[in-house]
Amino acid sequence: MKKLLVSILAVLICLTVSGCKGGGKTDFDPIAEFGSDELYVFNWGEYIDESNIEAFEKRYNVTVYYKTFDSNEEMYTAIVGGDKYDIIVPSDYMVERLIREKLIQPLDLSLITNIGAIAEGLKSPDYDPTHAYSIPYFQGSIGIIYDSTKVTEEEITAKGWDILLDTKYAGQICMYNADRDNFLPALKSLGYSVNTTNDDEIQAAYQWLLTQKKTMSPAYVTDEVNDIMIEGNKTLAVVYSGAAAYIMSENEDMAFIEPYQGTNIWSDAMCIPATSTNVKLAHAWINFCMEQEVAEKNSIAVGYTSGYQAVIDKLSKTEFDGINAYLPRVGYDKDEEYHDDNVLKTKLAELWNQVMFN
Amino acid sequence: MKTFSKLTWPYIAWISAFVVLPMLLILLYAFTKEGNSIITLSFTLENFAKFFSDAIFPMVLWRSLKIAFFTTVICVLLGYPAAYIIAQMSEKKQAFAILLITLPMWINMLIRTYSWKGILAYFDFDSQINVMIGMVYNFLPFMILQIHTSLSKLDRNLITAANDLGADSVQTFLRVTLPLSMSGVISGITLVFLPAVSSFFIPKLLGGGEYVLIGNLIENYFISVGNWNYGSAISLIMALVIILSMFVTKKMDQKTGGEE
Amino acid sequence: MKFIKKLVSSAYFWLTMLFFYLPIIYVIVFSFNESKSLTRFTGFSLQWYQKLFESRSIREAIYYTLLIAVIATIISTIIGTLTAIGLSKSNKILRAIVLQINDIPMMNPDIVTAIGFMLLFTSLGVDKGLGTILLAHISFCIPYVILTVMPRLRQLDDNLAEAALDLGATPLQALTKVIIPQLKGSIISGALIAFTMSFDDFVISFFTSGPKVSNIAIYVYSSIKRINPTINALSTIIVVIVTTVLIIVNVVPMIKDRKTRGIEE
Repeated sequence: MKKLLVSILAVLICLTVSGCKGGGKTDFDPIAEFGSDELYVFNWGEYIDESNIEAFEKRYNVTVYYKTFDSNEEMYTAIVGGDKYDIIVPSDYMVERLIREKLIQPLDLSLITNIGAIAEGLKSPDYDPTHAYSIPYFQGSIGIIYDSTKVTEEEITAKGWDILLDTKYAGQICMYNADRDNFLPALKSLGYSVNTTNDDEIQAAYQWLLTQKKTMSPAYVTDEVNDIMIEGNKTLAVVYSGAAAYIMSENEDMAFIEPYQGTNIWSDAMCIPATSTNVKLAHAWINFCMEQEVAEKNSIAVGYTSGYQAVIDKLSKTEFDGINAYLPRVGYDKDEEYHDDNVLKTKLAELWNQVMFN
Repeated sequence: MKTFSKLTWPYIAWISAFVVLPMLLILLYAFTKEGNSIITLSFTLENFAKFFSDAIFPMVLWRSLKIAFFTTVICVLLGYPAAYIIAQMSEKKQAFAILLITLPMWINMLIRTYSWKGILAYFDFDSQINVMIGMVYNFLPFMILQIHTSLSKLDRNLITAANDLGADSVQTFLRVTLPLSMSGVISGITLVFLPAVSSFFIPKLLGGGEYVLIGNLIENYFISVGNWNYGSAISLIMALVIILSMFVTKKMDQKTGGEE
Repeated sequence: MKFIKKLVSSAYFWLTMLFFYLPIIYVIVFSFNESKSLTRFTGFSLQWYQKLFESRSIREAIYYTLLIAVIATIISTIIGTLTAIGLSKSNKILRAIVLQINDIPMMNPDIVTAIGFMLLFTSLGVDKGLGTILLAHISFCIPYVILTVMPRLRQLDDNLAEAALDLGATPLQALTKVIIPQLKGSIISGALIAFTMSFDDFVISFFTSGPKVSNIAIYVYSSIKRINPTINALSTIIVVIVTTVLIIVNVVPMIKDRKTRGIEE
C-alpha cells in the first residue's frame, strides 16, 4: 500500500517537473549577456498580457518569476520585509518615496534604447523628472463606471462623486479598497485636495466615508470590480480608467465619467529595487516592455492607457475607439497627482481601517 | 535505555528555534514601536493602549467570536444527528460513510471555499450568511468525525442495560448516550471554533468585500498597512483570547471525561 | 414506526452528503463551461483544461505543493518519531515541558504561527523561498506525528528493547530492528496526517513563501479575484486524483482480504 502511494506521488512529481522545464530553448546565452538567467518581477494584478512573459523568456532563454500585488503598500511592505525582486511597478508617489528611502537604484539609461517611446505627458514627471529611477508603464485616472440603463448621464454629470451618497443606489455600489484611492471620492466630493494635510478636512472625509458605509453599504473591492461590472451586478463603481476601458469593451451598457469635482491623475512606473541581483536583465525587461508590439498587447489585454505615445495613438483609433476611459482627461485644473506624504498616508490608512472594519 | 532520551535533543533545538523564538518575536514586536529590525528597539505599551482606545479592534474581535460561536453551534446541531446516524449503521456502511465525509477534506480548503462562490451567486444572501455557510461547510466534517469517534467507543451494553431497566429511547439518549459522547462534542467544538475565529480567507472569498473578521485585520496590518508592531499586538491578544477559551473548554472536557 | 425512523435518518444522512458534495459537483460541471460565467452554463468546452495545462504558474504550483508535502512529511515523520521515542525514555519534567511546547503550534491560530515565522525569517534576514516554506511546514507537522506515535509507544513492551541491548545489540540496532518496527502502523498514520496538513495549508505558506515559490493554495488565493474557470478545472483534477487514491487505498485491502479469506475457505 505504502509503495503504491509513493509511486503515485513519484509519477505526479515527475510529470510536473518535466512540465515545468523544457519549452523552446534558443541558443541565446543569457549568462554571457546579462550575467544571470532569472528575473523576479513584482507587478500589479491584471497588468500584463501573459504571453509577453513567455515571449521574453524565449527571446533571452531565461526564467521569469512573476508575482502580483494589490496595492502600493503591499508591495512596499514586501520590499522592506526583505523580499528580493528585480522589477517593481509602483505608482508615482510611491516612486518618490522609494527614491527618498533609497530602496530603488538608479537606472542605466544607455541600456534603455526605447526611451524615446515615452508618452508626451510623462516625459518629465514630477516624481522623477529625468527618469533616473523609473520608466512609465501605464497611466490613467480614477472615475465612476455606471450602468447607463439605470443611471442617466445627466444625473451623474450633475452629481459627480455625490452620487455615491445617493441612497437611491444603496447596496448597488463598489468602492475601491486601495490606499489613498479610497479617500479620493470623499475628499473630492467635499472640494478638498487629495494631498490635504488639514486635519479637519481629513476628518470630514472620514465622516463622509462612514456615512456612506452606514447608508449605502458599499462593497470594498479591488480587481473583482471588473467581473462585477461586466456581469452588471452593481450599478455604480469607483474604478481606474483602464479598468473602465476594459469593462466597457466587454459590456456595452457601461459608461465612464470623471466627475466634475476633479479626480486623481496617476502613472505607474517600472523600477529596479536596490536589492536586485539581476540588474542587467531587469534593464532588458524594461526595454522589452517599451517595444511597440509588446506594449500594445499589454494595453489591449488590460485596458490601461499605455505609457508610450505611439501605442496610445494607435489604440485610441482602433481597439479603444470611442471609449472615453482610454484617454484620460488632460488639463482640468481640479485634477491632481498624489504626492508622497508618509504622515498623511499612515493617517489615511488608519482611518480607512476604521471605515472598512466598522 | 537512557541513551534513547538523547533523541529528543534535536527536536528541543528545533522547537526553540521555530516555535519558541517566533512567539518571542511576536511578543517583542508587540511591545516595541517602529522599525522592523532588531537594532532599533524602543519599548512601548502604545500598541496595547491603542487597542483600548481604538474602537475597531474590540468590535471586529467580538464579531469574529460571534460568528465562530454560531458556526460552532450550527456544526454541533447538524453534526450530532449525522454522527449518531452513522454510528447506528453496520460496520461496513460506517466505513463507507466516514470515507464519504473525509474525501472532501482532502481537497484544499481554499478550493472547497471557492466552490461555493458559484452556488451562492444564485441566492441573494447577506454576506455574513455567505461567510457562515462557508465556515460550516469547511468545519462540519471535523465535528461529525469527533462525535462519531466518541459514539463508536460507547459501550453498547450500557444502552441495553438502560433499556432493560425501563428507560425509553429518549431517556436513554438523554441520560446515557449524550453525556457519554460529550467528550467528542467538546473536542469537535475546539476543532471548529479555533479555526473559525481566526479564518481570513473564508470572509475574503465569500464576504464580497463587505464582511471582514479579525484574521483580515491582522493580515491587513502585516501586508498592507505595514505596521507589524500593532499587528503583533492584535495577534497576541487574539491568541490569548482563544487559548483562554480553549482552556475553559478543556476544563469542561475533564469534567465530563471524569464520568467515563 | 421503525421504518419511518430509518427513512428519516437515511434522508438526513444523504442530505448532509448533498451539502458536502453539491459544491464539488457544481465546480466539476462548470469546469466544462464554454463561457467564463459561474452561474450560466452556456455549452460544453474543454478550453479551461487546455488553459490549465498551458499555464506554467499552475504547473509550478502543483509541483511545489507536492514537493513540499513530500519533503515535509519525510522529515517531520523522522524527527517526530525519534522525538516520541526519546520522550518516552526521558524524565517526566522534560517530557511535560516538551509536550507543552509541542502543543503551541496546534493551539495557536494559523495566522499567528504564520506571522511568527515571517517575523523570524525577516529578523534573521533570510530570503523567503522554498527553504523557509519547508521549515515552516516541517515545524507544524512534527507535533502531529509526535501525538500519533506517543500513544502507541506507551503500549510497547520496554523489555524487548532492553533484551536486545542485553544481547549485545547497539542502541542503533535496537532502535531500527526492535522499536521502530513495532511502531510501524502509528508512524504511517502520523505521516499521512503530516502529508494532509502540509498539502492543505494556505495561511502559513502564504506568509512564508517569497518571490519564487507558490503552491496551489497561494495560486488560488491570488487569482480568485477575477472569475477564473481554470480553478474549476484544477479542482476537478484534484477531486479525481484524491478520489482515485482513496478508493484504491480503501478498496484494494478489501479485495485482498476477500481473496485470502477465499483461500483459507
